Amino acid sequence: MSESLIDVAAPEHAAPQPDEQFDQRRRPSIWSALRRGKGLAGVLLVGAVVALGLLAPLLAPHSPTEQIPGANLVGPSGAHWLGTDEVNRDLLSRTLFGIRTDLVVVFLAVPIGAAIGILVGLVSSWWTFTDVVAQRVFDLVLAFPTLILAIALTAFVGPGLRTVFFVILAVELPVFGRLTRTSVRTVREMPYVEAAHVVGAGSWWQLRRHVLPNSMEPLLVQLAVSMSVAVFIEGAMSFLGLGVRPPAPSLGSLIRDGVRNMYDAPYFAVGPLALVVALVLGLLLVSQALAEARRA
Amino acid sequence: MRASSRLTITRSLALAVAGALTLGVLTACSSAVGEAHRGGSESGPSDGGLLRIGSTSDIVPATIFTNSSDATNTLIGAVYDSLIDYPLDSLEPQPRLATSWEQADDGLSLTLQLRDDVKFHSGRDFTSKDVEFSIKTWADPTWTVQLQRTAAAITGFDTTDPHAITLTFDHPLSNVFDLLDMLPIIDSESIDELKQGKAYVGTGPFVFESWTPSSKLEFTRNDDYWGDEPHLDGIEVDIVSDPQAQVSQLRSGQLDLITGASNRDLETLGKDSKFSVTGFDGAAQQIYVGADLTNPNLDDLELRKAIAYAVDRERIVDEVFRGVGTPINLPWPDYSPAYDAAGNETYPYDPDQAKGIVTKLGDLPTLPLAYPAGNANYEQVAQIVQANLEAVGIKTELQPTEYSQFIKQLIGGTMGGLWILQHAYAHYTPSTLAVSAYPFNADKNASHFESAEYKRHAEAAWGAPSGDSPEAIENYQALNKDLLDNLFLIELALLHFQVASTPDVQDFTMSKRGELDFRATYLAD
Repeated sequence: MSESLIDVAAPEHAAPQPDEQFDQRRRPSIWSALRRGKGLAGVLLVGAVVALGLLAPLLAPHSPTEQIPGANLVGPSGAHWLGTDEVNRDLLSRTLFGIRTDLVVVFLAVPIGAAIGILVGLVSSWWTFTDVVAQRVFDLVLAFPTLILAIALTAFVGPGLRTVFFVILAVELPVFGRLTRTSVRTVREMPYVEAAHVVGAGSWWQLRRHVLPNSMEPLLVQLAVSMSVAVFIEGAMSFLGLGVRPPAPSLGSLIRDGVRNMYDAPYFAVGPLALVVALVLGLLLVSQALAEARRA
Repeated sequence: MRASSRLTITRSLALAVAGALTLGVLTACSSAVGEAHRGGSESGPSDGGLLRIGSTSDIVPATIFTNSSDATNTLIGAVYDSLIDYPLDSLEPQPRLATSWEQADDGLSLTLQLRDDVKFHSGRDFTSKDVEFSIKTWADPTWTVQLQRTAAAITGFDTTDPHAITLTFDHPLSNVFDLLDMLPIIDSESIDELKQGKAYVGTGPFVFESWTPSSKLEFTRNDDYWGDEPHLDGIEVDIVSDPQAQVSQLRSGQLDLITGASNRDLETLGKDSKFSVTGFDGAAQQIYVGADLTNPNLDDLELRKAIAYAVDRERIVDEVFRGVGTPINLPWPDYSPAYDAAGNETYPYDPDQAKGIVTKLGDLPTLPLAYPAGNANYEQVAQIVQANLEAVGIKTELQPTEYSQFIKQLIGGTMGGLWILQHAYAHYTPSTLAVSAYPFNADKNASHFESAEYKRHAEAAWGAPSGDSPEAIENYQALNKDLLDNLFLIELALLHFQVASTPDVQDFTMSKRGELDFRATYLAD
């Protein structure tokens, strides 16, 4: 990963740019990690769940909120593959649409939280004063267990997908901020960064061109881990009634409803549980594959 | 690296099966906790044992007299006595701390003879001064008691005789016996501790021992009770806010009786020979859709009529309450002097009629529809109401709200839109509902409905010499017309209390106030 002062100062036509060299070395490693073994298994699991969620309008036999007359908590059948719930809605349709809620959380809230966290970590750790302030704020946020933070936030803004979104942002921001800070403090001591500083490169240029690219790999691993954690956070919040508001479905709220009806309808939560397992397992396998590729 | 990798895989698998295991643990869990808590004989009531009750909501000392939580009701029923009792199926007063009574012909005073063998749990004798203190406490607006106006209308107290009291009224009070049924006799010496939740001293069958906030309440038998000595050694009320967790604890033997189960769970438990489900027909409650008229759209009577026509009450009763209820338009049970069978048919389920009204009204904004969070019954009713309204063109947004916050909004009149809740008091003298209950009070109600006519009819019914006089009944009919014509509150169904228990819990009942009565309760082997 190291780059020399000679590389930085070399004429443009003489050799590829250092970043290009870096990209050429890194990308094959990441992509190959996801094309075999547990990486491939993870991608397939996540891909299958994502595909089901994206194709929900085509696959679902009913609207997720349609209340079907007479179909009160009926068991699995040809008409309703996963049965119906206590207000006569088709569980397969709700499960497929429920995936979409989790996808929003996983693929929107986590990356946004990560991006903000990386930016804050990157900028704040460059100067001592901002570093101290940011670290203490991160300490404060991380001191709260996630569900306590969720309950506190819900007390102010009420339950809903927006609250889940904010909780995940709040949880992920310090995680990524701190991880970035660790990388920054390591990378900025590297000779090529010092060399760039000596030849007059500005702080922002150094951060953008040297520090951030060399911090990306651990952040990518963390991103996959955080996405799997986000599925749990959504599930836990909806299970406690802090997540999405009825009648919108989410995997967590469907599991909660399944637990409510577990004596009358033990089949209720099977579909959503299987999807949560697939999504979490898939994301964890991806993160493991990336971590192993990084260490290789 | 390999060891680390294996560890991570193990973690992944553990995370993956955690959700499934949770379900399994919940269903399979059984406990021996309940095995050793009771004694008894083979026949007849046996003494001893601790009754463990699951309650959904904790007590709130500042609103201890508002009957707004199941734990509060259990506490009041266990620790305190009232002056009279109503039977579940009528409004005929029966003696309790008052042995007899005589009302003046002009309806402006009432003399009660009191028992002379009653002591508070502190050892102090119960006297007529305690009746005066209790009524004055209820008349104090700081306690936000729903019958505050009725208590405040008692202006004279003759306590010359410690075992008799003459109450003088501002005006005739048709519902005075409702007050005497609901009013707990409070110990004046410990009122400061009561405000802080440290002591609840009454004359009732059980003595308050302790309260651990959000956890439990403990009571022991009152060995000096003036009536038949209770069989139980004590009662423990566990606060279990999740109704589903209550059911699981009942199934696993950690609780003997639960008050918060949904009707679907009650139906399932009732089919299981290991459990009993007991209904109390006279202690009815009504579920309704309230409308805050400060919302400019809900101020339009036509929209409220559309809502009344749009809701499928039969479906709510059948599917949510499992048939344990009756669809209604008016709140009264059939034994009430205000009962009106024809009035109950005023707004049948007629989505076409509702759609026609909404079409005339034009575009409507999305209305908030609040309900108490965490309760399966409310959640299901709210979703059915939402779907019914959407089918006729009225869009709503569901707002699950934490229960104590919900009650605070109701009392403060800050609901802002539509809401779903249950109310009581319709099974008492009808004027009580119109002058006391937060949603109906003609003076100040949660809907902000103001009407000189409604107020006049409510006051006239309240001021009638008795609750079933011709004059009172005439005013009840006028009140019924006010309720149906103005629809500030849209009734859905009349419901009956049900509790689930193990079959070992014998001989418990419920007062008309909705308080479980454990005076004769025993635990069979």
